[in-house]
Amino acid sequence: MLISTIILAAEDMGPNPIAPENKELFWGAGSFLVFLFVMRVFLVPKVRKGMEVRYNAIRGGHESAQAARGAAQRDVAAYEAALAEVRAEATARIDAARQTLDAERQAKVLEANARILAKRAEADGALASARAAARGDVAVAVGSVTASAAALVLGKTADAALVKRAVDNSMSGGRS
Amino acid sequence: MNAATLIAFEFPPINMLLRWQDVVPTVNKVVIISILSSLIGIGIFLAAARKDPKVAPKGARNLAEIIIDFIEKQIIMQTMGPSGLAWTPFLLTIFIFIYLNNMPGVIPLIQMPATARMGIPAFMALMVWVVYNVTGIKHQGPIGYFKSVLFPPGVPKALYILVTPIEIISTFIVRPFSLAVRLFANMLAGHLLLVIFALLSEALFQARDRILIPVGVLPFAVLLFLTGFEVLVAFLQAYIFTTLTAVYINMASHAEH
Repeated sequence: MLISTIILAAEDMGPNPIAPENKELFWGAGSFLVFLFVMRVFLVPKVRKGMEVRYNAIRGGHESAQAARGAAQRDVAAYEAALAEVRAEATARIDAARQTLDAERQAKVLEANARILAKRAEADGALASARAAARGDVAVAVGSVTASAAALVLGKTADAALVKRAVDNSMSGGRS
Repeated sequence: MNAATLIAFEFPPINMLLRWQDVVPTVNKVVIISILSSLIGIGIFLAAARKDPKVAPKGARNLAEIIIDFIEKQIIMQTMGPSGLAWTPFLLTIFIFIYLNNMPGVIPLIQMPATARMGIPAFMALMVWVVYNVTGIKHQGPIGYFKSVLFPPGVPKALYILVTPIEIISTFIVRPFSLAVRLFANMLAGHLLLVIFALLSEALFQARDRILIPVGVLPFAVLLFLTGFEVLVAFLQAYIFTTLTAVYINMASHAEH
């Protein structure tokens, strides 16, 4: 058999292999105790202290960053409040200006209307005067023509008052 | 052809794998590893302590802070709570020392975990035993501590006949024994497995029958896998030892446990 060639040589067992050797125990103890002393008294406190310093610095930086963030948020809130106040004031001013403008416009419109009415009344008066004058002229001319026509027809001069009454009566459309 | 000539696999005596010759009197490979472990640990933290703590940590400082954070958050806070943070230097030193003594088992050319010898685990377990008993006596007083150990609160009095001997054996004998043996046995087993598969690979690669040479890939692959596994075991054993130490100290500190 191939593996049967394996030779296990376990002769000369010597001392117990699991029993502790004094030199290893004492040197190991000495090494550990020196290590423990140096770590306990000098090294770990120093490294730990350095860690605390850095952690505190980080914590302080974090806290100041939080404070700065809070202050910035307060500034933003104050700015937004001021902005809202200014917006409200601007809106109020715009409303007031709009009302003023509306009132002024209303007044101007009323004034213009009054002027228009006055001018219209004036024009109407002038028109009525002109119409009356023209009517008078027409009446005179018609009276003259009528008188002339009546003289030609009748062969004698017509009574002027009668002609005038007839013309006036005719021009007023029989309304007199 | 004689089968014995195909492959020559000779497992060396166990003491040849574990007992090392002294380089100078009383100082062998295991002793050197344990001394170097302390020096490396001190060196890392010394380099860390010298760096400016205010800037972002890197290199040795980063490593030191990661280990401290790991010990505090993953071990102390999980087992002892905030009151256990005072034990950080002690537990940190235990963790680093055991880890650095475990790791040489997978470092080429060294390939010997110092904890695969019983000396260091035995001392560490004995020290932890002393520390948690002294802590218990300090916090609860001698009578209170032994009373809480021998007569756990909440147990029916009739059961003390059974519980008290178990607690005596558990607290004063089994705990230190299991701490030491767990670490030692795991590291020794890993070391022996690596040796076995390394020797088997070598024997197959050097077999006279050339058909056996490719077969050597199999134990070599297992050797590579086990080497990676031992890296995990080295960390895990240090973690377990440190966690149990924290648990024992915490139990001794508080009577309600």
